[in-house]
Amino acid sequence: MATIASNFNPREIDNTDDIPGRRAPLITGDQSYNSITEMVCRVAENPQPMVWYIAFGFSSLTAVMFLSLIGFLILKGVGIWGNMNPVFWAWPIVNFVFWVGIAHAGTLISAILFLFRQNWRTSINRASEAMTIFAVVCAGIYPGIHVGRAWLAFWLLPYPSLNLWMWPQFRSPLLWDVFAVGTYASVSLVFWYMGMIPDLATYRDRSKSPLRRMIYGILCLGWTGSSRHWMRYEKAYTLLAAFAAPLVLSVHTVVSFDFAVSQVAGWHTTIFPPYFVAGAIFSGFAMVVTLLVPFRTLYKLENLITLRHLDNMNKIILATGSLVGLAYATEFFMAWYSQNPYEYFTFFNRAFGPYWWAYWTMVTCNVISPQLFWFRKLRTSPYAMFVISIFVNIGMWFERFVITITSLSRDFLPSSWGYFRPTMFDGLMFFGSFGIFISLFLLFCRFLPTIAMSEVKGILSITNHAAHGHDGAHGNEH
Amino acid sequence: MNLNYDKASIEIPDSWRAKAPILFSVGLILLVIGMACSFLAPATGGDNAPAIRYLTHSYLANFVYVFSFSLAALFFILMQFLTRAGWSTSIRRIAEILMTMIPYLAILFVPVLVMLFWGSSALYGWNASAKDMENSVIASKATFFLTKEFFTIRTIAYFTFWILAGSWFFRLSRQQDESGDTELSMIRQKWAGPLIMIFALSMSFAAFDWLMSIDADWYSTIFGVYLFSGSMMGFFAMMIVISMLLQNAGKVQKLITVEHFHDMGKFLFGFVMFWSYIAFSQLVLIWYANIPEETNWYRVRLEGNWGLFSYGLIPVHFVIPFLFLMSRHIRRSRPLLLAGAIWVLFAHWYDMTFLVMPNAGSAEFFPLFGHFLGGIGMLCIFGTMFIQRASGVPLVAMRDPRLPEAMSYANPIL
Amino acid sequence: MSEHKPRKSAEKKMPKAFGWMAEYQDEHSLLVAARKVRDSGYTKTDAFTPFPVHGIDEALGIKPTVLPFIVLCAGFTGLGTALLMQWWMNGVDYKYIISGKPFGITPASIPVAFELTVLFSAFTAFLAMIALNKLPRFSNPIFTNPRFDRATNDRFFLYVEATDKYYNRDSVKELLGGTHPDSLDEVLEDTTPSALPRPILLGLLLIVVTGLIPAMIILNMRAGYSTAPRFHVFFDMDFQPKKKAQQPTTIFADSRIMRPQVKGTIARGQLEEQDPFYLGYDPSKMTMLDKSASFMLVSTQTPSDSKAPDAASKTPDAKQTTPAPTVAPEAPKLPWIDKLPIEATEESMKLGKLKFETYCSACHGYAGNGDGLVHKRADSLAQGYWLPPTSMHIDRVRTQPVGQIFNTITKGQGKMASYASSLSPKERWSIVLYIRALQRSRNANIDDVPAGFISTLDEEPKPANPKTVSTK
Repeated sequence: MATIASNFNPREIDNTDDIPGRRAPLITGDQSYNSITEMVCRVAENPQPMVWYIAFGFSSLTAVMFLSLIGFLILKGVGIWGNMNPVFWAWPIVNFVFWVGIAHAGTLISAILFLFRQNWRTSINRASEAMTIFAVVCAGIYPGIHVGRAWLAFWLLPYPSLNLWMWPQFRSPLLWDVFAVGTYASVSLVFWYMGMIPDLATYRDRSKSPLRRMIYGILCLGWTGSSRHWMRYEKAYTLLAAFAAPLVLSVHTVVSFDFAVSQVAGWHTTIFPPYFVAGAIFSGFAMVVTLLVPFRTLYKLENLITLRHLDNMNKIILATGSLVGLAYATEFFMAWYSQNPYEYFTFFNRAFGPYWWAYWTMVTCNVISPQLFWFRKLRTSPYAMFVISIFVNIGMWFERFVITITSLSRDFLPSSWGYFRPTMFDGLMFFGSFGIFISLFLLFCRFLPTIAMSEVKGILSITNHAAHGHDGAHGNEH
Repeated sequence: MNLNYDKASIEIPDSWRAKAPILFSVGLILLVIGMACSFLAPATGGDNAPAIRYLTHSYLANFVYVFSFSLAALFFILMQFLTRAGWSTSIRRIAEILMTMIPYLAILFVPVLVMLFWGSSALYGWNASAKDMENSVIASKATFFLTKEFFTIRTIAYFTFWILAGSWFFRLSRQQDESGDTELSMIRQKWAGPLIMIFALSMSFAAFDWLMSIDADWYSTIFGVYLFSGSMMGFFAMMIVISMLLQNAGKVQKLITVEHFHDMGKFLFGFVMFWSYIAFSQLVLIWYANIPEETNWYRVRLEGNWGLFSYGLIPVHFVIPFLFLMSRHIRRSRPLLLAGAIWVLFAHWYDMTFLVMPNAGSAEFFPLFGHFLGGIGMLCIFGTMFIQRASGVPLVAMRDPRLPEAMSYANPIL
Repeated sequence: MSEHKPRKSAEKKMPKAFGWMAEYQDEHSLLVAARKVRDSGYTKTDAFTPFPVHGIDEALGIKPTVLPFIVLCAGFTGLGTALLMQWWMNGVDYKYIISGKPFGITPASIPVAFELTVLFSAFTAFLAMIALNKLPRFSNPIFTNPRFDRATNDRFFLYVEATDKYYNRDSVKELLGGTHPDSLDEVLEDTTPSALPRPILLGLLLIVVTGLIPAMIILNMRAGYSTAPRFHVFFDMDFQPKKKAQQPTTIFADSRIMRPQVKGTIARGQLEEQDPFYLGYDPSKMTMLDKSASFMLVSTQTPSDSKAPDAASKTPDAKQTTPAPTVAPEAPKLPWIDKLPIEATEESMKLGKLKFETYCSACHGYAGNGDGLVHKRADSLAQGYWLPPTSMHIDRVRTQPVGQIFNTITKGQGKMASYASSLSPKERWSIVLYIRALQRSRNANIDDVPAGFISTLDEEPKPANPKTVSTK
């Protein structure tokens, strides 16, 4: 059965149609528990395709370049960047917010969709969580190296120092960031790891070599699949989801506070928290689509990560993209409504000032491009969604650029206006972070379970049960 | 699909229909008594101006209080179709009835418009109040945006959209009761997306117009979201209360299960948290930046004799419902959940009072007490409207293709 | 099953048995079998499944877990920790004022409080789950059966433990056999050697030892004492390619790094050092000074410029109840200029008045009596060490040459700061002009009044009685 399912051409199956009363199948092909195991495990067990080696070669080189540049930065100082009066918060914070935003999709998919009983999350949550962790790693680097003396970055933490005799400043949103991003990174890691434990046990039990068996055995903590364990496991997982859901919201809320508690025009507006969160989900889902479309093709997982999954994600991209557009509009309206000349000027300056190109790139990519997802054809075409998701990624980077740079370069005092120009190092260090991100993701595909097998099987069990248990009103798609 | 059911079990109880006129009269009387209480406010300078201010503000706050249930119901319906939800099918009709009350409730907004054209600036200072016109910021807003004509046009536009969207969805739902055609669900699924976008825009601007412009000097971009979060919370509380009352009257017994109450309880809990998140975000940003034109709104509320009332919002609207609804056992227990929902209904009224009443004047006992009576009166009128709209309509969409799903699901873990 | 102790037992023939394990194709057969076993009264049972099977808790009679309560407690601990921490660190132990916000718990404490609540709860949920499940447990007798490898793939196992109080080897076998399992095996003790393979042990040891090296080095450096120069990471910051003042050099023949002025050039600001307009005295007349005055001149040009009596009064303990020095201070015998270098026009008088009232009147008062608002406020606080501002109308000031007054404004005196950066020389001279006018107004006689105005005066001007600060 497994071989039939794997060889089936998935492009023939469009399971995005959901006739009311008959739930469309979440996974296509005639799947059994074993075929799911086979499909997922072969990603790590089979030799990797050539594309993997090429991609890893490029990305690891880029990562090495990035790390060397960090070394160079520490030796030379942050002056190698273009940060200059009046724009002292430039690309580093733009990149930080960009990556933290991307990091929102994973835990959102695993936690919030879990609480909403969206079963389609099961095929994509693992890869998204991994992506979350790697994006947080990339995000965390920028403030770390921006503090100047990066080796003293631990001073951000409230530890009883014998040298300093002082404490961090808890009324600063930047310190809240330390706590928010730190908590988010560690809780996401726990969430990700905990979800992997049963699947690592599957890897262990399928390992041929004793070394592999031992390593996976240690990683899965000797998991047996005992029902007593499952019961506590599910409880803990649900509780983690319940905590992670508001945590996701809080992280980008705190990031938005970095800007919004100030008095800078264009930064201080009360819609920032939900608007940033919507933007973060927007960019995060776009990045998940960007990664999953090639991923499912490369590892022939089209039966598990089906068009329906992608379609749903694209709908969320459309929804959050529209929310972001609504927030832009509200901000613009309120800039007029407040009758505050500085606000008014800031928004006019964004659209028609020296950074008009950044603004209109942002609007085109963030507000207009996701509207293409109103068309079902584009929502279910892997090529189209890949392109659009990249547009969204670009747009969301520009959004942070527009917010940070335009407000700082022209604020209250025209005599201190300026124009920000990035240096070569700004560009290379942003590009380099993708090296880290993609290298880590490729290693994840190589060594760890990329799809939550146990959860997919659980959903399969429920749908099979529903199909057999009732009078057929549900249909029997499987 | 052949679900056997007793037609009488999904209709509104006859005793309710019989009591509807009494309920309406009680509501009207309470409303009038409440208004009269405003005149017991200590008059400053010997005129009745403060009384009129209390009266109009109280009316608006209580109107928005009950209207928000119906408005949130419209959002809920759109959302259920957008997400193709199955679990909510058996409770959806009750929300649909709430949604179709919007045209009735729109009539209750007419006094506000009449008052505007009367030339009164008691409620909306931008309506040619000499004192406000001295303020150049308000004066420039009042050139074309905050004028009684444009305000009325916008209000009519919001209502038109809400009424059209709501009644169209209700008509399709009723048609499905007859035919059981799945295509009717498909149409609604298809249009829910665009409609929800317009809804977001209209709700946001209605909040700006109706509530935020009471203090025309003040502005907060999050205000629409704030009202939305509170309304959704109130809506779920209202749904729980109505469903429980119907079941206690012997109706829809098997169709609304403990799982539905559990889920509505979760949503209630979720929106208590979401409201707190939004309210905190608004407060902390304004508190931190400390810009005078923004802080004034909070200064009126947190200093002076409204302070006690406003700080009460934290326990009433957050701590108590949050701690109470946290437990799964409470959410699955009918009497406890009902108690929680009634508390949240009160908390939502408290929140609306917090938003509106401090702009009327200082916190005085009699106007506030009258406002409370008015709130109960408004709820009674709201109840009458519900009975009126629910008469002759099955309380469950019996031929919705997703009903079996709603009947058979169970809540996992949480 | 807890007494399981893997050991090398070559002589032990029959491995210990821990119970029976039955294998099923699907979860429904498992559920049926589990209910049957439960109904037979066994409680020490367990099922092993590749995913959480819906309904198995009820079928096996598994009781709910205490996990949520542990997590709830952890959450409150996190909340309390965060609030206490912020209150203590920023409100008590290390206070600092940030944009006028209050100390202690404020809205600004909420984000960190929330994060720590979540952090504590989430880690507790995970760790408590691990602990309650008694994980990690790497050696487990159920792993001895190779069929069990499929428990994480697609097979379902039901296990009855030998420790159950109703356990009977044969009856359990019969019971499980009656549920149509795919296979039925006895769980036997793991007889494989439990010692770690030597290479792995060595590898682990190596990792631990190498891991300790950096820690030891750091510890040694923290606690130890070394005379070796420090390691220079930032070479270009530690050794900057520049010379400091007074250092020798090989670049120039005279070995001096500080270069003398090139002939025929004037440094920026140098001209002003020659011009009485900027100085208040005439440097060209300096040659006429005697030696002691020259020293005095040098001292006036240093930043800590002060004259002897004022220097004494600057000390905080100089609490003066008597008026400011009645003896005229010993003025440096500098060649002060006596004549204003600007013209006494209506315009400059107005400028002087404006600037005097802007900068000087806060202390010296509008009339120059030394009774400005600052003085009044300080005086009303009556702290004792307030030195009253000088009145413009005491003899000492009246007799000062204009150049000296100019010098005082430029350099400051006593508590008075320098106004050179706030006022241009022209403005300073205008102030001097205005002060002169103020002084004159108190000492004018009828001849000073322009002829045309005499008739408008209906009484004599006040007697020239400069008000001093003697009332204080």
